[in-house]
Amino acid sequence: MGEIVFKNICKSFGDTKVIENLDLTIKDGEFTVLVGASGCGKTTLLRMIAGIGPATSGELYIDGEEVTDIPPGKRGIAMVFQNYAIYPTMTVRGNIEFGLKNKKIPKSERDRLIADAAEVVGLTPYLNRMPSQLSGGQRQRVALARAMVKTPSVFLLDEPLSNLDAKLRVAMRTELIELHHRLKTTFVYVTHDQTEAMSMADTIILMDGGKIQQMAAPEVIYNDPNNIFTAQFIGTPPMNVHKMRDDVNYIGYRPEKIQIFRDKPTDCTYVRKVKVITREMLGSETLYKLQILSDAENEKEPIMSKSLDMSFAVDEEVYIGVPKEDLYYFDANKMRIRETDMLERLYCTTEGDK
Amino acid sequence: MKKKVNILRKLFPYVMVIPTMILLAVFVFYPLVNMVYLSFFDYNLIKEKTFCGLDNYYRIFFIQTDFRDAFLNTLIYMAGTTFFLLFLGLVFALWLQRDSKFNAIAQRLMFFPNICAGLAISLIFQWLMDDEGLFNMVLGFFDIAPLRWLNDSTTSLLSVMIVAIWKGIGYYALILLSSVKSIPTELIEAADLDDAGKIRTFFKITLPMLSPQLFFLLITLTINSFKVFDSVRLMTGGGPGNSSDVLVYWIYRYSMEYNKYGLACAGGTVLLVILLILTVVYFRVIGKKVHYQ
Repeated sequence: MGEIVFKNICKSFGDTKVIENLDLTIKDGEFTVLVGASGCGKTTLLRMIAGIGPATSGELYIDGEEVTDIPPGKRGIAMVFQNYAIYPTMTVRGNIEFGLKNKKIPKSERDRLIADAAEVVGLTPYLNRMPSQLSGGQRQRVALARAMVKTPSVFLLDEPLSNLDAKLRVAMRTELIELHHRLKTTFVYVTHDQTEAMSMADTIILMDGGKIQQMAAPEVIYNDPNNIFTAQFIGTPPMNVHKMRDDVNYIGYRPEKIQIFRDKPTDCTYVRKVKVITREMLGSETLYKLQILSDAENEKEPIMSKSLDMSFAVDEEVYIGVPKEDLYYFDANKMRIRETDMLERLYCTTEGDK
Repeated sequence: MKKKVNILRKLFPYVMVIPTMILLAVFVFYPLVNMVYLSFFDYNLIKEKTFCGLDNYYRIFFIQTDFRDAFLNTLIYMAGTTFFLLFLGLVFALWLQRDSKFNAIAQRLMFFPNICAGLAISLIFQWLMDDEGLFNMVLGFFDIAPLRWLNDSTTSLLSVMIVAIWKGIGYYALILLSSVKSIPTELIEAADLDDAGKIRTFFKITLPMLSPQLFFLLITLTINSFKVFDSVRLMTGGGPGNSSDVLVYWIYRYSMEYNKYGLACAGGTVLLVILLILTVVYFRVIGKKVHYQ
């Protein structure tokens, strides 16, 4: 049980306003990921939920209860910090036990809870070690066990994987998803890594400049972005976007939707002649950096393409084509244009160079 | 040929430390050994020194009471200044923790006595604690009977201790402040989320995190307070009677003023042994409970 509701929340540090008039509902039991570049306000939101960085104004409800005046320890939440914040003076057991002792849970009960939590994260053999004797991954698990053992209604995670090496990070990602399935509580996870967001989230909240750019399931946010920011933040390499020939609106297409041909294709809506600038082999797929061969100012920026075909060479001149359904249009304010009649009008301006 | 190079290589480090070793030998090791050696002799710089066994030790411990007084006073001085400097240093460090203009100024002011010469401070306090001095004027203003501070055998040692604490507090607060500030804020926040109250957070998180610094200060403070000399020499001269006499001042008097070198060396040896024992005890007992990261 743990639905989180932000109502008209503002936060400023000194004179700098970080978040203005934010309304947001984080659903109970979901794995919600707050994602955005650093300084976008995502950690600020998380710290508000935790109560360690209260909002300047506005109301915050956890599970229907106003929590503005409730201290962090009484909110029924647990948090995993970016650098784990493990108490270095206590053993692993001491770390996990500390919160329980503060809540005056009897010894036998404590021992049972600790044993359970340690078992789940695989720390049982290390309970009597000091944190300094543990590896990064093990410390991460201590932080998780310490949070879990409190059976919180909301689980807050602040970039918990960013200090781990790449391999461990991917492994922990799966473990966190499993943990969420097991605990079935609300998870709020902050990250700047869109891959993490895409792979773990039930709902992604994409933030920029203290504002929510889009809030949706990963597949929706990928396939149906609201604006250029979302379109370019999610997906690697980012969506190719450039101005259209009317010099007002924008057109965009994902690198993986580009088809490359040696002969000019006839069945694609968007066709351009391009020259291959660089080629990066990634194994299963190949990244091409392409330059559109055109004198138009709006198409000077090179575009990226992700293709399964690795046969195109650097400096080769080829054709690219994008089908109608994979083209995205954005207006002068960088917001998505979804109306089809609008699209019809725009077609003529995007038809390939003659 | 190769062997020769190897020998030179092995000798090289020793050659490099020779200058320091010579200085240490002349100014530290020789006097130290000589002091212990002289403590077994009846010697006053002029007449032939005669071996007298443990006679000097017997005299300072069982015949002359002034050594025992000085010894006890030193213990009281040590315990008092160490405790209050650490305690008040910690209190001030916690108080100065928050960054504000007022705290920045307070911190500088607090450190100020530490950069003043001990001589100047002793003289100033001699004036402040004079029978007609400022302290008594203030007491008189509140209709409290004047104290005789340095001139009363019950308060003279206490007065010297007050000055030492006043002078040292800024330094110890500063060191502890820097370690208080080096505690990651997430730890305190995590404790907050773990529902630990302020007091529990202090005793379970803050204090253990400070223990290496506190331990270091405890050792240096103890050793330094055993060596107290200038303030006693200037402010009370060990008096009235022997009420504020301390070990080093006692040694100084017996060597420089009374020319009783044998006795002075016996006193010095006692001081040396005490400091050695203290250091070993500290590292053995307290060192185990100190958390080093």
